[in-house]
Amino acid sequence: MTDWTFRAVDVTKSYDDGKTFANDRITLHVEPGEVYGLLGPNGAGKTTLVKQVIGLLKPSSGTMNLGPHDLVDDPDAARQLCSYLPQAQMPINSFKTHEAIAITGMIRGGTAAAVAARRDALIEALDIGEWRDTLGAKLSGGVKRLVGFAMVTVWPGRVVILDEPTNDVDPLRRRLLWEQVRRLGDEGVAVFLVTHNVLEAEKSVDRLAIIDRGRILAEGTPSSLKQVDRGRLRLHVMLAPHTPTPELPPFVEDHTRVRSNLIAVISEAEAVHGIGWAQELMGIGIAEEYALAATTLEDVYVRLTGDVAAREPASS
Amino acid sequence: MTVAVIPALRTGPGYWWHSFVMMTRWEIVGLRLLLPITVFVQLLTGAGFVLGVGLFFGQIPSRAALFLSTGVIVITLATVGLVLGPQLIAAQKAENTYDFIWSLPVPRSTAAAAWIVTNAIIAVPGMVMALLVANLRYDIDLVVSAAIVPGALLTLYTATMLGYAIAHTVKQPMLINLITQVTIFALTGFSPVNFPKEQLPDWLAALNEFLPLSHMANVMRAGLTEGVVAGLARSYLALSLWAVAATLVTAFVLRRRA
Ligand SMILES: Nc1ncnc2c1ncn2[C@@H]1O[C@H](COP(=O)(O)OP(=O)(O)OP(=O)(O)O)[C@@H](O)[C@H]1O
Ligand SMILES: [Mg+2]
Repeated sequence: MTDWTFRAVDVTKSYDDGKTFANDRITLHVEPGEVYGLLGPNGAGKTTLVKQVIGLLKPSSGTMNLGPHDLVDDPDAARQLCSYLPQAQMPINSFKTHEAIAITGMIRGGTAAAVAARRDALIEALDIGEWRDTLGAKLSGGVKRLVGFAMVTVWPGRVVILDEPTNDVDPLRRRLLWEQVRRLGDEGVAVFLVTHNVLEAEKSVDRLAIIDRGRILAEGTPSSLKQVDRGRLRLHVMLAPHTPTPELPPFVEDHTRVRSNLIAVISEAEAVHGIGWAQELMGIGIAEEYALAATTLEDVYVRLTGDVAAREPASS
Repeated sequence: MTVAVIPALRTGPGYWWHSFVMMTRWEIVGLRLLLPITVFVQLLTGAGFVLGVGLFFGQIPSRAALFLSTGVIVITLATVGLVLGPQLIAAQKAENTYDFIWSLPVPRSTAAAAWIVTNAIIAVPGMVMALLVANLRYDIDLVVSAAIVPGALLTLYTATMLGYAIAHTVKQPMLINLITQVTIFALTGFSPVNFPKEQLPDWLAALNEFLPLSHMANVMRAGLTEGVVAGLARSYLALSLWAVAATLVTAFVLRRRA
């Protein structure tokens, strides 16, 4: 049996005659049925990477294979095997919702009846039936995004590439969309998912990579990435505007400051001391509120990608 | 709800035909908002051009009227292929929707073929209108023969593919529009389309031997008149070379990846 794992090896994409590296020796694989997340700040190189999978861009060096197919050498195969939701809007202004989904499904090789059945199921599952006969030009941004999602997943192929599918989508429908993403995975499709929504991704992806400046900083399952934070809590202190960071007690193991948000990492054993300290800060008017919570993937993300604190002016 | 994980790569004539039909549907539905107004404008310009020139010159001799009316339809077709078509592609680039269309799993040639069909749908009503109006307004002897079919097809193909090649080669949408405007202006202004080439200075007539538009006029006119066109074989040859060149450039550009 063919192994339909997607493999990228040492993929490098440089611009401006090798002066800027949008992707720098990226190696990863996505197995059939796996939902693989790609997280990273703006300009990290996520879109550049997925555009190379579908053959819209050509790597400067490195290889990408899906099963027996070399996707770099054979972009025609890449387009048949992978479907792609771009980060930009879809060209469906003069399509009714149901047409856009059905025509794309048939272009992708589905028969009319099979595509129609799946389309109707998707329209129902994403709760966009209200706009079934609406022209794309009259759809709100979020609904248009959901229609785009339905277009590329109605007849998906082996790999579905989603570049920020939840942009503009309301919280309830976002859940419906994540459910469908999971379902694609359950049915054997490899999903390559670019998102900024770290907390939602945490619940939906099987594995993920965090990339910045073209490089993979960390890769693994959400829980393996949080491993180092096991036994720790995050104490989120909302400082009063324009206050300098207060002196930190010794039990604070790590901290980041983004504008008025001070996030201190403490061990579970120090929970009581942490709360005491935060209340003290509130008492003297330095802090406005606080919250104590388990560490999330977002903490890992912030720690890896960033000295967000260093990038932002500390006083703001 | 089961997801179809596709069994094998599709190939062969069945795949090509299915893709062509679906892409044509995609293009036509995609122009739903624009198509009625575009066709309407083509109808008006076709008729307007024929009548306008007549107004301007008062009484025109029937040979000149014959040249004029058969020339207008060539200009209509060339304008759609060389200006309107590229503008639509420039708009896709400007709106960032180009990527999705080029990620669709169809042979590139089917997208081009669908594009040619779409251009024909936009252009043909205006052409027919121009001929009808000319027939009513002027005393001309149109003799429609089977030669109009290969003539019109080759002209349509060449004009559309030239525009297509420009639109896909040039990255900047604004630049595409500029280039196509200049091209059509130069071609229609300085090519013997609406009048015989004897009316041009020798050097310009010689230059036009190497440009496509006068040859388009020749092959189209040959299918609509009798005893007017000379050097038809030459025009077919020249136009075929242009068609091949436009096809090769397009094929190259569509395979190229940034
Ligand atoms: N055509 C180009 N020429 C030069 N540099 C480019 C080009 N396209 C992209 N880049 C650069 O490559 C880097 C990666 O861009 P990319 O669009 O992949 O980022 P991203 O991770 O998708 O960001 P975002 O989250 O904002 O969508 C950026 O620094 C960008 O400026
Ligand atoms: Mg991006």
